[in-house]
Amino acid sequence: MAPEALLSHLHRADGSATYTHNGYCIIGAVNGPIEVQRRDELPEEATVEVNVRPAAGVGSPKERHLETLLHNTLRSIILTRVIPRTLVQITLQVRSLPDEEGAAGVHPSLLLLPHLLHTSLLALLSASIPLSTTLTSVLIAIPSSPTSKSGAPLVSPTATDLLRAKPIRSVHVFAFSGDNRLLLNESDGVFSFDVWDEACETAEEACCREEGGVGLVGEGMEVDGKESANLEEWLRVVVRRKVEHEQRWKVAT
Amino acid sequence: MAASAIVVLPGDKIPQDALPKPMNKKKALTLGPGLRHIPPTTIATTIAGALVTDNKKNAAWIEFNSGRYLPTAGDLVIATINTSTGENFNCFLTPNTPAATLPHLAFEGATRKTRPQLVPNSLVYARIASAGKDSSPELTCVDPSTGKSEGLGPLKGGMVFKISLGMARRLLAGSKGGVTILEALGEKVGFEITVGRNGMLHVDGGNVKTTLAVGRAVQEVDEQALGAKGQKKLAERVLKSL
Repeated sequence: MAPEALLSHLHRADGSATYTHNGYCIIGAVNGPIEVQRRDELPEEATVEVNVRPAAGVGSPKERHLETLLHNTLRSIILTRVIPRTLVQITLQVRSLPDEEGAAGVHPSLLLLPHLLHTSLLALLSASIPLSTTLTSVLIAIPSSPTSKSGAPLVSPTATDLLRAKPIRSVHVFAFSGDNRLLLNESDGVFSFDVWDEACETAEEACCREEGGVGLVGEGMEVDGKESANLEEWLRVVVRRKVEHEQRWKVAT
Repeated sequence: MAASAIVVLPGDKIPQDALPKPMNKKKALTLGPGLRHIPPTTIATTIAGALVTDNKKNAAWIEFNSGRYLPTAGDLVIATINTSTGENFNCFLTPNTPAATLPHLAFEGATRKTRPQLVPNSLVYARIASAGKDSSPELTCVDPSTGKSEGLGPLKGGMVFKISLGMARRLLAGSKGGVTILEALGEKVGFEITVGRNGMLHVDGGNVKTTLAVGRAVQEVDEQALGAKGQKKLAERVLKSL
């Protein structure tokens, strides 16, 4: 199932997005470019600040770890040199998690990471922060099977899928940029290089459009209802809806 | 304008045939907000939105209506005075951004002896004289060539309303923007409006009721994206309540 996204719904933030997928619901808000504290100021680059707030309680080292991963990935796609000496503040609030999340026996922060990445990207798009490229991310889980060393990879499985496929041998999170370059890889579990390679290829298929496709989407693009083939196309549908919403005054009577 | 807008994502490369076709071959291509040039010949987008091209001006830009206002030289803005230093006023264009400077002498007829006294939180309609990523924006209230104010200066009375950046652009674009509510209201009541590109609308209707009615009407047109018919209906409703 394709993720659901709602853009620019918080009116106090410069950009915001709510993202719902597989039982995960995250609200993202972006403020920027705003004034940066003197001690965080970088002379030639924008400072990026990521705050992850868990569904319950206050942030822990787990959230700090996710923040570091997000910060490093997002900094590579934000054009920080275009807006020097400013701050881009990204706040991500986890609203709900699937009930079976803890029972799957997989590192929970890895399960959350692709959703956090998507939410922050959508919020950045909503805030019109200059970006060098887009980003898509996916979780690949490799269950162990009795016959061979590892079973067929599961692409962005739901928590129930993971529970059914137990035990999981390894999980991998991949993030790709708009031009099909690998931006982030986090893996957990036991796996060989061949398994990783296969997982990476599967992830690329799920994230990126095929080579040779036209860079710009014309009017012939499918609209909501029809399931998007991959995440990049899903992203385009979301942005198309945003543009249509912004320009509806042109067609209004 | 093209019938179907081309929707772009950050990092998309604009193909040659999507760029404007200039009538005058000598005119250099102008890139507006959201586009960047990667030497030698690549033109890539930096924000998500609709690609708009203008063949006459040989210009291309990305149309979007979200995010924070980024100061650009030549824009008309409504600035809020924060503090006054020896030579300048420090003003805010948007909250939580570095202050813009407005020299005391950048008002019509201002000299060292007769400089305007503006208290904190007063409003000024000003033009952005210079803005760049490496310096804080500078404002001015006079036309440098004539020394006249051309309508710029302190705003008195009235009230400020927040509108979207796209709405501010539409209001300043005149008939192309498709905002007819002001003419419809103006037939019956008198009021004065000032539009700042930083998403601010200042309305002075002489009395509180008119000011609020006009400001709220414009905000409603903005939020609900009303067309010509909807605006007419709204104007009738507003005028009835006055």
